[in-house]
Amino acid sequence: MDYEMEVTGTHIWYYYICHREVWMIVHQLAPDQEDDNIEIGRFLSEHTYQRNKKEVVIGNIKVDRIRKEGEQLIIGEVKKSSRYKQSARFQLLYYLDTLRNMGIQAKGELLFPEEKKKEILEWTAQDKEELDKAIGDIQRIARLPVPPSPKKISFCSNCAYREYCWAEGTE
Amino acid sequence: MKKTLYIFQSGELRRKNNSLYFETDGRKKYIPVEDIGDIYIFGEVDVSKKFLEFASQKGICLHYFNRYGYYMGTFYPREHLNAGHIILKQAEHYLDTTKRILLARSFITGALRQMCQVLKYYRGRLQKGKGEIEDILVQLQSEKETANERGESVEELMAFEGHAREKYYKAFDYILNHPDFVFEKRSRRPPLNRLNALISFGNSICYTMVLSEIYKTYLDPRIGYLHATNFRRFSLNLDVAEIFKPIMVDRLIFTLINKKMITKKDFDKHTDGILLSEEGRKKFIVELDNRMKTTVNHRHLGKSVSYRRLIRLEIYKIQKHILDEKIYEPYQSLW
Repeated sequence: MDYEMEVTGTHIWYYYICHREVWMIVHQLAPDQEDDNIEIGRFLSEHTYQRNKKEVVIGNIKVDRIRKEGEQLIIGEVKKSSRYKQSARFQLLYYLDTLRNMGIQAKGELLFPEEKKKEILEWTAQDKEELDKAIGDIQRIARLPVPPSPKKISFCSNCAYREYCWAEGTE
Repeated sequence: MKKTLYIFQSGELRRKNNSLYFETDGRKKYIPVEDIGDIYIFGEVDVSKKFLEFASQKGICLHYFNRYGYYMGTFYPREHLNAGHIILKQAEHYLDTTKRILLARSFITGALRQMCQVLKYYRGRLQKGKGEIEDILVQLQSEKETANERGESVEELMAFEGHAREKYYKAFDYILNHPDFVFEKRSRRPPLNRLNALISFGNSICYTMVLSEIYKTYLDPRIGYLHATNFRRFSLNLDVAEIFKPIMVDRLIFTLINKKMITKKDFDKHTDGILLSEEGRKKFIVELDNRMKTTVNHRHLGKSVSYRRLIRLEIYKIQKHILDEKIYEPYQSLW
């Protein structure tokens, strides 16, 4: 891959969970489509919120929620749980940064409806530095000729790539 | 885990609302589409274009067999999983002779190991013929070593495999020891005796099962390594099936005959050969399907997987080999 790949929110999200997954997604290798979680997810997105799609696409980012509080623009990212908060924070920060480059000053909100929790996020120079480092690293991973080898982490047990990653060895 | 649908009756297969719908002689049946992985069609079944669209959209392969049970072909839906990177790597492993031989050799040594495993299992259970099976095992072992050390071309490797398989089949007579099921020699199209009819039918199902699993991965079934790519539609499934035929087909045949679940009544004599009757095919399929659903513990994954799933895992391993992640190590059963 010799061109500069465009990094997306999904890449950022997975970067803080599993580098191997980043490589897979960049190379268009989708996880097992028969995995229960994937099937449930596909069914839900095909059948729910039909009349009320809130997602907004701005450039190459996809924002779950967008609202105004006075003059302040607030974008929201909805997550099922706060388990991968680091991932969620930097994904949202990436959106804030993208908007900033367009000349829009926005605040972010991480929403965990199932936990009835909410967290405010603001762009800071320090976080931005960390974000740029992550983006550079994602581009490095994308250029690797071979995917990073699998590491057993807690995420594996529910990951739809698990059978692919751990196919070797039986009984 | 998705199910396989086998249709022996004649009738019409349609899409009705969002379900599969089968109608035969006034009897109607709805089958939830999300449950179905692939469909085997043995009867005279009419399908419409709308139905094929539906099957394609749901990623369901349709495997067709003619009225004698011969495999006719597969409706292989348009590729839904595409990754340019993998296709290029798959072709690279075909075009580069060293890389191709490495994979071809793995399929052969994997197949031979499985054959040995089957023989070892029965060696311990036989009253008569222990010594003969022992001899055959020794010969297979040496074929395996020769293939590993001297197989310089795919043609040579195929020849080693052929010799080994001939020896392996000789063991069938000791394992079965049944006058109605003697091996004599391998014959296909048409099979000339009952045992050959069982082997042919079982193998053709095994090829299609592997094909269905390949469809769920990024590999292209048209590029095989042991079986030449140029002259057939699909060949990677034939390669992978080599590993599974001994444990999934041959062992099933032994069980069916030894437990008298299939007898000589389950075969039809045709003008030139002998084939499983429709009743026989049904019995075979029911038992095969049960076997494929049986689970074994997979330590690396930390959970149980069905035999059917083992095929998918095997293809994942080949995909990893092709990505240069990990050298392919064929599956070895311990039972």
